[in-house]
Amino acid sequence: MELLSDRHPLLIVVGSGGVGKTTLAAALGLSAARRGRDTLVMTFDPSLRLKDALGVSEEAREHPVPVKLAKGSARLEASLLDARLTFDRLVIRYAPDEASRRRILENPFYNHLSGNLAGILEYMAVERLWEVADEGTYDQVILDTPPTRQALDFLEAPSRIVGFLESGALKIALRPWFDDAGHLKATSRLGFLGRGFERFLDEIVGLGLLRDMAEFFQAFEPLFEGFRERARKVEDLLRSPRTLFLLVAGPGDERIADTLFFARRLREAGYRLGPVVVNRVHPELPVPAGGGAAEADPCDVDGRRLLAWLGHRDRRGVDQLASLLGDHHPLVALPLLPDEPTDPTALQSIGEDLLDLLRTAPDAG
Amino acid sequence: MTASTTSPSDLRAHLGSLQLVVVTGKGGVGKTAIAAVLGRLVAGSAAGGRGGRRVLVLEVDPRENLHQMLGLPPSGGDLADAGGGLHLQNLKPRDVLDRIVAERLKIEVLSRRVLASPVYQQFAEGAPGLKEVAILGHALRLVRGLDPVARADPFDLVILDAPATGHGVSLLAAPSLLAEVIEHGPFGHMGAELAQWVGDPQRAGVVVVTTPEEMPVQEAIELRLRLRERVGRDAELLVVNSVYPPLPAEASDEELAADPALDLWSHRRRLQEREMARLEREWPGPRVLLPKLPLDRGPELVAALVECLRRELTAPGASRLSEVEAVR
Repeated sequence: MELLSDRHPLLIVVGSGGVGKTTLAAALGLSAARRGRDTLVMTFDPSLRLKDALGVSEEAREHPVPVKLAKGSARLEASLLDARLTFDRLVIRYAPDEASRRRILENPFYNHLSGNLAGILEYMAVERLWEVADEGTYDQVILDTPPTRQALDFLEAPSRIVGFLESGALKIALRPWFDDAGHLKATSRLGFLGRGFERFLDEIVGLGLLRDMAEFFQAFEPLFEGFRERARKVEDLLRSPRTLFLLVAGPGDERIADTLFFARRLREAGYRLGPVVVNRVHPELPVPAGGGAAEADPCDVDGRRLLAWLGHRDRRGVDQLASLLGDHHPLVALPLLPDEPTDPTALQSIGEDLLDLLRTAPDAG
Repeated sequence: MTASTTSPSDLRAHLGSLQLVVVTGKGGVGKTAIAAVLGRLVAGSAAGGRGGRRVLVLEVDPRENLHQMLGLPPSGGDLADAGGGLHLQNLKPRDVLDRIVAERLKIEVLSRRVLASPVYQQFAEGAPGLKEVAILGHALRLVRGLDPVARADPFDLVILDAPATGHGVSLLAAPSLLAEVIEHGPFGHMGAELAQWVGDPQRAGVVVVTTPEEMPVQEAIELRLRLRERVGRDAELLVVNSVYPPLPAEASDEELAADPALDLWSHRRRLQEREMARLEREWPGPRVLLPKLPLDRGPELVAALVECLRRELTAPGASRLSEVEAVR
């Protein structure tokens, strides 16, 4: 199958943390540019080494920055996603006036939004993706998803936002909870439940936090309509046939459950699951003679034996995964390299290896 | 070599004397294995007449893994006995939170309605630090014997297999954050109390796990700085996991080039040594190295690592893992 083509201008790289997603996203970016495709790679938290390899600085948090490439390549740009910054930007752009803008940005609840409020922060990153796709200035966009086991939270963020906006939560939150003196008012309107709430909120949550939350939602109200509209568009984009998901997995049979879980969830959610890449697979090496089962010291292992064991373990893992995914699903194993890539050339050769392996892999059914 | 301010054998006793040990680090470095190893080590060390301490390893991950390390079936959230004074539990923060609300509201129909209401749903998901506080609160209740399952026999130590790094600091910083945004009420008080607990080095400890690779090492170093900044405390120990053995001293460059196994081994080991050297410079606290072993995850691996960790803590520097090849 052909990974980088007009059939799939948007490629989303997903997988557990630490499997090398970011490196592969960058590697594919270089390969795409070399094939004459104007490319943007969007990533969250690249290592220092990878940033150095691409020659990308912190400036990429503000806007996409060009990656220097050999002559004859198309344009390659890299962008570092910063959910908070995107959120701030959105507030600045859509708030109707300076006062409401300040009300949101200076709201203590907004400032404590370190985790997620129904995934709003994660949603912001997907929102950026939609902006880029909508502008249509690139032939190829490659998105590297956050380094978390819950990368699916990230993808589900738009539908959660829509769900949240359509649930009663917002209407309740938007009620004028507080009078001018800052006291909770008129919860009795809610009847039995309201009285329970009042006690619950007062005793357990404390009114300060609630006030901040209510103010936050009120200040945000003017933004919500556009928000819902865009969340739908983002969802459409993620489920479009032009979007392909590349699932990256770690080697070893202990990772199989994780990988299958991801694959199943992606398919169930209606996304197009492209190839599964098992990354950093140890090569198969002969088991060294001697040693035997009863090794003298459990903490002092011979390196050759260790590598032979890892090679065997990874082979077993790849085979099992292939049979569980089925014959028609493309799966490729990328070998563990002796060194980590430190320059564009090394990165690009990883991209080429991956594309070569995929060329002979079957098409996704 | 183990750089240290405390002697490592004291460290073992110290870790064993705590009420809470939070095990944290980047995803994929083996936190769960190390949490199980620490649990076995401490539960197995006879400190008093009862022969060892009652230890619980608490896993906070919707996908259970810990049971596999200790050779048990998935527990589905129940307390499970792994033998030798060691227990495990998989915890869903939302369940803990919901239980606290239910306990508070007492009237069942009311608590059901509150729990099902969209406002509560948003609050539970969105309130800063709330879930983290629920996790720590659960740990404290287990140690104090306030939780129904441990009432008769409270745990001496809870080892928390914390979510990946960024969340690890959030976890420890959450109580003071919550105490700040909620000045009164049970959650506010709980926040203040837990902030004291996790900040007290006599009662709570932090063990950071890393592998000798660039990103995990970077995160470990940042984690320590953020711990100091946001929680006002240091980590007790850094566990450097999955270290390749050093190359045989007699291997020549020609041999390395001719033998693919030796070649891969030497390159990967060299990458690791670079990161170990970085830790030497940038991690001033106690540090131990644990080997990458040819064992699948499970009780056998845990038992072997318990032995390796015991040695590292008893006789620092005796392991060959820290031998850095001078010229290569």
